[in-house]
Amino acid sequence: MDDAQLEDRVHECGQRLAAGLGSADASGLRHPLAIGERRMMRSLIADPRLRAALFRFVDVRPACQSRTELVRHLSEFLEEAGAGSENARRLARLTSRRGLTLPTAGAAGLGVASMAHRFIAGEDAQAAASELTSLWEQGRCVTLDLLGEATLTEPEGERYAQRCTQTLRALGQMSAGWAPNQLLEHDGLGPLPRANLSVKVSALTPHLRANAPERALSAARDRLLELLRLARDLGAHLHVDMESLDTRESITELFLELLALDEFADGPSAGIVLQAYLTDSEEQLELLLGWLEQHPRGAPFTIRLVKGAYWDHEVVLAAQHGWRAPVFTDRRSCDRHYEHLTRRLLDARAGGLALRPAIASHNLRSLAHAIAYSDALGLAPDALELQVLRGLGDDTAAAIAAYGRRVRVYCPVGDLVAGMAYLVRRLLENTSNDSFLAAQTTGADINLLLERP
Amino acid sequence: MSTENTFRNEPALEFRREPVRAQALRALAELRTKLPLRIGAANGAAAGGELLSYNPANPAELIAVAPAGTAADARAALVRADSAFESWSALDAGTRAATLQRAAGLLRERRLELTALEVLEAGKPWPEADADVCEAIDFLEYYALGALALDRGRLLPQLPGERNTLRYYPRGPHAVIAPWNFPMAIPAGMVSAALVTGNTVVFKPAEQTPACGHALVQALHSAGVPEDALVLLTGADEPARELVAHPLVHGIAFTGSCAAGQHIIHAAAQAQPGQRHVKRVIAEMGGKNCIIVDADADLDDAVPAIIKSAFGFAGQKCSAAARVLVCEQIADALNERLAGAIRALRVGPAEDFASDLATVIDAEALARINAFLDGAEHEPRVQADIPVGTGGHYVPPTLFVDLPPSSRIVREEVFGPVLSCERVASVEAAVRIVREGDFGLTGGLFSRSPQTIEYVSRLGIVGNLYVNREITGAMVGRHPFGGGRLSGTGPKAGGPDYLLTFVEARSVSENTVRHGLVI
Repeated sequence: MDDAQLEDRVHECGQRLAAGLGSADASGLRHPLAIGERRMMRSLIADPRLRAALFRFVDVRPACQSRTELVRHLSEFLEEAGAGSENARRLARLTSRRGLTLPTAGAAGLGVASMAHRFIAGEDAQAAASELTSLWEQGRCVTLDLLGEATLTEPEGERYAQRCTQTLRALGQMSAGWAPNQLLEHDGLGPLPRANLSVKVSALTPHLRANAPERALSAARDRLLELLRLARDLGAHLHVDMESLDTRESITELFLELLALDEFADGPSAGIVLQAYLTDSEEQLELLLGWLEQHPRGAPFTIRLVKGAYWDHEVVLAAQHGWRAPVFTDRRSCDRHYEHLTRRLLDARAGGLALRPAIASHNLRSLAHAIAYSDALGLAPDALELQVLRGLGDDTAAAIAAYGRRVRVYCPVGDLVAGMAYLVRRLLENTSNDSFLAAQTTGADINLLLERP
Repeated sequence: MSTENTFRNEPALEFRREPVRAQALRALAELRTKLPLRIGAANGAAAGGELLSYNPANPAELIAVAPAGTAADARAALVRADSAFESWSALDAGTRAATLQRAAGLLRERRLELTALEVLEAGKPWPEADADVCEAIDFLEYYALGALALDRGRLLPQLPGERNTLRYYPRGPHAVIAPWNFPMAIPAGMVSAALVTGNTVVFKPAEQTPACGHALVQALHSAGVPEDALVLLTGADEPARELVAHPLVHGIAFTGSCAAGQHIIHAAAQAQPGQRHVKRVIAEMGGKNCIIVDADADLDDAVPAIIKSAFGFAGQKCSAAARVLVCEQIADALNERLAGAIRALRVGPAEDFASDLATVIDAEALARINAFLDGAEHEPRVQADIPVGTGGHYVPPTLFVDLPPSSRIVREEVFGPVLSCERVASVEAAVRIVREGDFGLTGGLFSRSPQTIEYVSRLGIVGNLYVNREITGAMVGRHPFGGGRLSGTGPKAGGPDYLLTFVEARSVSENTVRHGLVI
């Protein structure tokens, strides 16, 4: 298949996925709350000052110990934003009107809580059980992510490890009752675990150091080892998340070193993340593929391709130290690179490597490209997994499921305090000018959205 | 000044990348083969004997041998600096600025070697040693640009028939007395500011870090500063005292302890026979820096920033955090997390990238800080482990919680890895405590309330206030550095006003009317 033919196929897939967006269920488009939220998102995209004010409010919300505190912060943020935003000025007047202040604070507080609930499935796996089960029934599998405060101390690392243990067990128990689903549980390489947990190594230990990756290797080793053993014994999948570039070397080295141990030769199913926005991500992919070739395991290895969620952090850190930014600073080159890596992953799978490519994106073009290229290689439909975030990618998940492809929903669980950083990141992502979702929200033409980057 | 538009800070080494770390370790190994470094006596034979510097992590490892300068050496050095003044001051500003920029280039070429030298001689961990070399380069570049701007003079009001000009002139030989904790950057700032404005300099580095001082002088000489316009004078207190008292000295730039600074200010004020000028003193002295933590602070951010501020380079920075003033609503949570974060600190040799903090500078510092710790009757305290049996000068990073205000640890500058955390009723109460302190150097505030941030910012209670970040690591140009009260005389280093202290302004008013015509 030549380039032009592939492009045609990408557009076809994209159109079909886009058509599926309309068929979203209760958690998606047609829900009145979602429509209101979409409207709000639209106004936030157009009003960066108001957006900043509201995000700062979301950020501080869990630290406010009374309604008075809540309303004080809200009105301070709005006041500051009011200099350049008529919307913010109007809201500021509203929050400062006597008699309205406390109800406003209550509403704003509840607003944040309900918004958080859109992204965060529950306090823990148990609380999220009915949600996870209903996702499965809708033909979507999940991976759980445990939100928490930063791990700065050993007890915090220990608590996170315990939460992971409990979550793996809870997932194992609840998923045992789920109805069989061929697409979600099997591919050409064998069975896919129903229980799937995404782990943050930075939460396992306070010893992650950018300048000394070896410290985490010893400090997080025992805890990650225990989690791998448990996942193996339960038949669950353990996925290691990627965070900022500062921790990539530690995380990669540690995880690969442990997976190469004899005791994990046949399990558990495991995976890692590749961040396409890093300009050296192709080298990182070669490193992973090289490792896979040298360490054939009984259980296939998943590589989740993401764009990357720490773009601002990486850019700011580099600017402040005088470094070249380690990330693509231009959206189109980043999207192009994402497609390039997608093809590399699928090529490797087609070449016979025990590799499961998971394409995690809300960009319809990126998803359509993955499907079209996978098909063009002659891979079976189940060889490709697509992933989305809960709350942001609900419509997309429905569309992928309707398309007949495997979709995994990344579901964060945790309390509101812990979830705020995650929530703010997601909101920023959703309303940034570069965001595909923002373009979609503001009603951009589907053909434009599917254009080759 | 236009420096803000063209100046860029020197990029830090990217130690998070493995090849960069490997390069650094190779540079260190290479340097080790040349030890001990031998620093020549600037004034011929050293009558005062030898000054030796050692690796604080291994006092058996000799780093450098330098002459121990005497009062006579100081006098001789000043005579040389005085003799060089006429020709150096006569150069145009552009030539002197270019010389500084060349020196910056030479330091840049030796980046890794100089960083390794700081690691060994000052016991400074890699990232901080690198930051110090970068800052030295920054000072040279920044003051070079500043001197060019200063040379253009200032615009004065002009009336018909009158031409008014204001120009700046160098003053004479300067004494630069530098500390060991920023062994390259601080002297680079003081020395280059004096030189670039046309003064000559006798520079006495701290007795603990003569080799770092020598490296700086070497770069400036190689770049074209005449040997006599910048004279290196290694030694302990004796030559420094002589410099301060000597009538040939026009200005003294000092960074160090509060006691020494006050002594210098006092001694410099006494005019000597034959002295026809008033000595100017720039003294950057101590701090007892507080971080205020508001009830709405994000502890995920505050705790690592406090740890870095208090324990970076084992607290041996005048900008380091010594006290945390936390609003009582979140005091328990903060204390618990701070304690856990301290226990997770790794103390080890500076050359090990895995060390969060390393040694203190020497045995004397070790004894002084341990006396503070021994004297603190108040428990509990939280500490991290330190390496044992190495002979290195290690002090455990230590946290004290809720000490009484009368405690020495709360009142005095420890200059080591010791932090105390006190509860306050409100940010306003914390501000009162900061104001009551002797020092006013740096300070921190963690708050998410715009009004609280604005309130504390406007008060101007410290020289450098850092909001929602660590309180150390001032960058040349971006964070002009220096404090008030007993912390120093100002003006701010790495800021637009610094060079003015090294010059004298002269104005000329010319009558341009001849025969009733304005010409």
